[in-house]
Amino acid sequence: MSEYLAAHIQERLAARAHELGIKVEVRDDVVYLHGQVASVEQCHQIEEAARMAAEGRRVCNEVSVVPVREPGGEERLS
Amino acid sequence: MIRVAAVGDLHVGPEVAGAYRERLTGLPDHADLLLVAGDLTRHGTVEEGKVAAEELHDLGVPVITVLGNHDYHSDQQDDITRVLEDAGITVLEGEGTTVECGGTCVGIAGGKGFGGGFAGRCASDFGEPEMKAFVGHTKAFAERLGTALLGLDCDTRICLTHYSPVEETLSGEPPEIYPFLGSYLIAEAIDASGCDLAVHGHAHKGSEKGVTPGGVRVRNVALPVIQQAYAVYCLGAE
Ligand SMILES: [Fe+2]
Ligand SMILES: [Fe+2]
Repeated sequence: MSEYLAAHIQERLAARAHELGIKVEVRDDVVYLHGQVASVEQCHQIEEAARMAAEGRRVCNEVSVVPVREPGGEERLS
Repeated sequence: MIRVAAVGDLHVGPEVAGAYRERLTGLPDHADLLLVAGDLTRHGTVEEGKVAAEELHDLGVPVITVLGNHDYHSDQQDDITRVLEDAGITVLEGEGTTVECGGTCVGIAGGKGFGGGFAGRCASDFGEPEMKAFVGHTKAFAERLGTALLGLDCDTRICLTHYSPVEETLSGEPPEIYPFLGSYLIAEAIDASGCDLAVHGHAHKGSEKGVTPGGVRVRNVALPVIQQAYAVYCLGAE
């Protein structure tokens, strides 16, 4: 069942890649990954971990890397 | 006026060593202190803790941090704390500290915190020992936090946690996981002490701004939320 598979992949992402915030969706024979991570390396790690648990399904990695801009502006709180 | 720079969820490791520090050049021109809201590492290893210490040491302003759940993952939180403290970074876990900033005394109390949820939809101290342990961990933390906040002798009071005190800054996360993202008990401690600001991280998909029931401004500074090296909040009169 695809719902169990998605849950198992999510577990694998936590255990292997230590990513908790990735959305996993299984549609037909494709596993979709959505979310944001800190680096390109993590993005690859996630895909690899997902593939290991994907039971041969194709993995479509739509995870992006968080853009970290130069600090700009300040908020006055008084 | 005090300028507080804040960021959380750096999640550094050897593969990205040095990258975050590059963004911190000029920090003393923009802020009087830097607060780090936990999850400095990915797997919670000492090796990653050392990378975090390298990113955050000698920045020209005091750096105060708490640890996050990721920093506990490898059971090396005590060693990570030591590595950070050896680098001159203050690590809070249920206690407070004060910093002098241009004649104003800024007090910061905080710690990791924990989950449990929010009023009306929260876990309660009832039933199995596992459940009691879960809620008990948050309760014990909130009590220590409340004491630490009230014990600060300062002009400006800030609460720094990893887990969230309010729901508002979680907006964007699935509501089903709110109980794992924070607890109203943290907000209760904040309101009892009359803080000027509460800063947290952890909710990567949450929102930046919220407020406690008592009117204290809450800011979620998780890196994926603020999407800049740090946010700056100005407190007090000019
Ligand atoms: Fe995090
Ligand atoms: Fe976290």
